Amino acid sequence: MDGFFAILNPSYLLFPALVGTLIMGVVCPLIGSYLVLRRTIFLGLTLPEIAAAGVSFTFWLQQTGILPKLAEGERSIGMLGSLVFTFLGMGLLGYLEQRGKGLAEGRLAAAYAFAGAVTILFMVFNPAGQVDVLNLLKGEVIALSRGELKLLAVVFGIVSIVMIAYRREFLLISFDRDLAFLLKGRQIVWDILLYLLAGLVIALGVIMAGPLLIFGFLVLPALAAKPLVSRMSSFLVLSSVLGLVMAFVGFYSSVKLDLPLGPTDVALGSCLIFLAYGLSRVSARARLALIAGGLIAVSVNACSASRTEAPVPEARAVSSQPVWLAKVKNSTALPLLLPSNNPLRSLAEMAGKISPADYRQSVMDLLRQSLQSELEKKGFQISLTEEKDARFPPLPSDSAGAARIARDGRLSGVVFASEIFRWEGETQKYVRALADFKLIRIDDGAVIWQRRVQRAIPTPSATNLGQASADAVRAIVRELFTG
Amino acid sequence: MKLSNNEASIAGKPAFVAGVSPLIVMENTSVGYGSGAVLTDVNLAIEPGKLVGLAGPNGSGKTTLFRTLLGLLPPLRGTLVRNCALAKFGYVPQSAALDPQFPLSVLEIVEMGAYGRVQPFQVFPARETKRAFEVLEQVGMAHVRGKSFFALSGGQKQRVLIARALLVDPAIMILDEPLAGVDEESRESITDLLIRLSREQRLAVFFSSHDLEMVQRVADKIVRVDKGAVAVEERSGC
Repeated sequence: MDGFFAILNPSYLLFPALVGTLIMGVVCPLIGSYLVLRRTIFLGLTLPEIAAAGVSFTFWLQQTGILPKLAEGERSIGMLGSLVFTFLGMGLLGYLEQRGKGLAEGRLAAAYAFAGAVTILFMVFNPAGQVDVLNLLKGEVIALSRGELKLLAVVFGIVSIVMIAYRREFLLISFDRDLAFLLKGRQIVWDILLYLLAGLVIALGVIMAGPLLIFGFLVLPALAAKPLVSRMSSFLVLSSVLGLVMAFVGFYSSVKLDLPLGPTDVALGSCLIFLAYGLSRVSARARLALIAGGLIAVSVNACSASRTEAPVPEARAVSSQPVWLAKVKNSTALPLLLPSNNPLRSLAEMAGKISPADYRQSVMDLLRQSLQSELEKKGFQISLTEEKDARFPPLPSDSAGAARIARDGRLSGVVFASEIFRWEGETQKYVRALADFKLIRIDDGAVIWQRRVQRAIPTPSATNLGQASADAVRAIVRELFTG
Repeated sequence: MKLSNNEASIAGKPAFVAGVSPLIVMENTSVGYGSGAVLTDVNLAIEPGKLVGLAGPNGSGKTTLFRTLLGLLPPLRGTLVRNCALAKFGYVPQSAALDPQFPLSVLEIVEMGAYGRVQPFQVFPARETKRAFEVLEQVGMAHVRGKSFFALSGGQKQRVLIARALLVDPAIMILDEPLAGVDEESRESITDLLIRLSREQRLAVFFSSHDLEMVQRVADKIVRVDKGAVAVEERSGC
């Protein structure tokens, strides 16, 4: 489990994802504050959905061959679609606004529904790329590379500088358009600049973090800040600070509890709104006391969370007898077979000559081999359960059940049981895993050592899903044996 | 339609020159929206130091006339000459037209009057803050400068908006229904303030109201609008 302070270490594997989330958490509320104050919150919901439609559309164009595959990878082509659709959508909505036909809410609602439908339809038209598009739209910030982080930092940095430099113009145009015209000239220039910045943030943010998280970062911190301030400058600063808090605590909770980042952050942001309205109803003294109490609670949690879990103990501390290494139990409902690198085997499979299940290695095999190797390095005398009886099944991580099966199989001493509950590798950039490992005394079912691995494991150097699984196995075993 | 901000363009128009050049001249001007004129044949001159009242029932075109003077709407016909830059117009909107959603303090509202003189990357100058304090003192609202603007009473809001217009350093002030939604006591103090601004600071003050009696009591010149017609009445006794 990743500790509170561990995720702040630049060498931490998810550090780029953390920094990317924090950047979005700070910058998006600067834009979102104006959307909230101008009563155009739904624009913050509709534009990300339009951007998502752009992603889906460009992937379909790519699949039909109209658009060439770009060398930079899947995000570049998605980003192009996201940008083009966002600005086209903004232009169309702006044009309809100028014409003043119909209700503004009606236009935004219709655009939202249409964009959502288009997103799904183009995914259906493109079954080959469906998974890629879905992954992009889910916006797993966790898969953010250092190169993408640089792009995000540059674009969002420019946006925040412009937002700060022209804050007076944006305030004036949003609050009193007549005065803005008298003092600053044509209002449309400032409107266009503000929406251009919003479009940039949304188009890039949707690709990096998905529509849900971007909408959350745009409006939730601003809505939470509003009841607590009576000055515009404080409002902008507090919105950004709450965005930062939402991003950091959401990221930490997501890593610690193995939850998807987008929904975790958005749920947290919504809680911040309730908290803010609650705080706004108490006296300033009580508010300070509550905030101080909250900070103390977080600090205590941070310190307690920073403890590291114990690695696999030394062999002499466990048993002088051989340790039985059971087969790894797969409780995922997926076969977890590793893809073959041999094209001849693949051809044979297609021709129906070989059944892939007959020979192909699985994640469980890989994990067991790695565990055996590391346990032996630690001085354990390892025996495989099938050496005793070839029919020996994989043992569950439930200690009583595992001990009972082992006793039924006439084993004695200690057994090492492993069970995989989740193994998701939708892209080669990370694997989301949940697995239990236990050293169990067979006589009484007592647990000598146990460890649960539950997190997304980045696999940045993997070029395919099989390699990602292999890298993730290595990372898990390293974690088990080093603490 | 003739539109000008050039002083030379009104030279040689003795009908409007009475010792001082008018800041605004309208000659046979029609104002309104693209679809049609709201007011026709407006003939009006506003000189410095004059308190001009625009009276008429709700929906008679007072705000349309103001929006035309401020350059927000083009005149449909006739001549409109502004003798000073738009940035020298101190505009006081109806406080009810401002969105209470915005978290703004009184000082932040007033400081907006100086935004035309502050560059994008510039920190808000201390001299402008000092001047904002001064105009707040002038309208008797310095004591509430840290408060939320939208927590103030109607009369207090109007005075703060007048302070904001004063910070523009205006040649002419245009006030849209400054007494609307204001209690009796505040009406008196705002009226006194407008008289002082025109008399002591030699500002041209053009305000609208649907209360003709009040306009007749304080204005140097009365512009009556009703059913598309405009009548201007000079009052020498004021």
